[in-house]
Amino acid sequence: MNTASLPDIVFMLLFFFMVATTSKETDPTVKYSAPEGSRTEDLTPYKQRSEIDFLYLGAPRNPNRASAFKFGYALSLDNVVQATPDGLYSTNAVSRWKRDKFDQKPARMIAPIEAVITCVKADQSAPSGLVFDIRKQLQDIDALTIAYSVKDKGVNKAGQ
Amino acid sequence: MAKRDIPEINAGSMADIAFLLLLFFLVTTTMDKDQAYVRSIPKKIEIPPEDLPDVQKRNILAIKANSQNQLMVRNVVFSDPDMISDFILRFYQTSEIKNKPEENFPLYSTATLGLCDLRMAEMEAKIEEADKVGATDMAKFFSSALNEWDKKKKAIKLYGKSELREIDKQAHIRIEVQEATAYAIFTQIHNEIEEAVIELRNTKCKELFGEPYTLVKQRYNQDSDAKDKDILDLIEILYPARIIEVTPKN
Repeated sequence: MNTASLPDIVFMLLFFFMVATTSKETDPTVKYSAPEGSRTEDLTPYKQRSEIDFLYLGAPRNPNRASAFKFGYALSLDNVVQATPDGLYSTNAVSRWKRDKFDQKPARMIAPIEAVITCVKADQSAPSGLVFDIRKQLQDIDALTIAYSVKDKGVNKAGQ
Repeated sequence: MAKRDIPEINAGSMADIAFLLLLFFLVTTTMDKDQAYVRSIPKKIEIPPEDLPDVQKRNILAIKANSQNQLMVRNVVFSDPDMISDFILRFYQTSEIKNKPEENFPLYSTATLGLCDLRMAEMEAKIEEADKVGATDMAKFFSSALNEWDKKKKAIKLYGKSELREIDKQAHIRIEVQEATAYAIFTQIHNEIEEAVIELRNTKCKELFGEPYTLVKQRYNQDSDAKDKDILDLIEILYPARIIEVTPKN
């Protein structure tokens, strides 16, 4: 059997996947499973323009450490788990992180900090109070756009 | 010189290498896109409590969730969260055609081109006044108001009618959750709001321009066409999504 064209076929498949998919966000250092929702907005255009930053809110990987965090949930900013026993929110971790992120953006980006989205990827049973803590810190530095991440249920695609 | 054979490279393992690469990409990539509800956070300002405007009860649609994840809309417990979007539709549509003051839902007012011109002139005068005194904050506030009226004027022109009925300026949806309310409930409330608002917007946009709002919005996000922006502005004036997220108390 002649298999000379097999590599070509496989490469074709490979290129298809390289183009059609996006690579996974860096593995968050917390465990989270997103809640489901419909009628969501697709964040791809913002990602392409790098007008979006992601933060994760979930249970720490090591269950024994859960008690060290406020409500047992930890926040992961660029893979660094942030917490102090009385809640990291007293330390302004989010506002400092967001500021740094914004300062590191490429110069060609014209969006002001108000418009740069901060996407909260929180576990479905995470307490909303923590989300509001994050929101408060973003408000403090005028980063005024927030996105609440969910998994799309798949129904109700655009337009229908 | 004797003719020598050109050595052939063995390409038999090429397929294996390519498969390996392919598998690597299959494993490390995700097909699903990032999906979210995008909301804006109000700017931080200090207003003394006595300066806060009075809001009529009919203009507030409060959706509350407690720490046991039970939902309540306007003080009525909703055991089936899917019903919330229907209630939101009623909130918008009750007075849409004709004001029904007897119902506990927001009233509509009529905006005309003449009114827009009048208000714009007023705002310009106020900006001038503020500039004279040097009150930059006030000037900024009035110029954003001026922008709003200008947008509305454009919208009426695009609408093609002499007037436009719009919901009370104060009509809003208020989300009140508690600290311990699960994030899933919080996003579900956003889901219900979005369902209702997008349905209203899609229907209207289809009726006026022949394509749904979500499609126009998607296109605008990709190529920022000014014409699409005008359409979006009009639809958003007709069905504004004013959402207030109340910070839970400790």
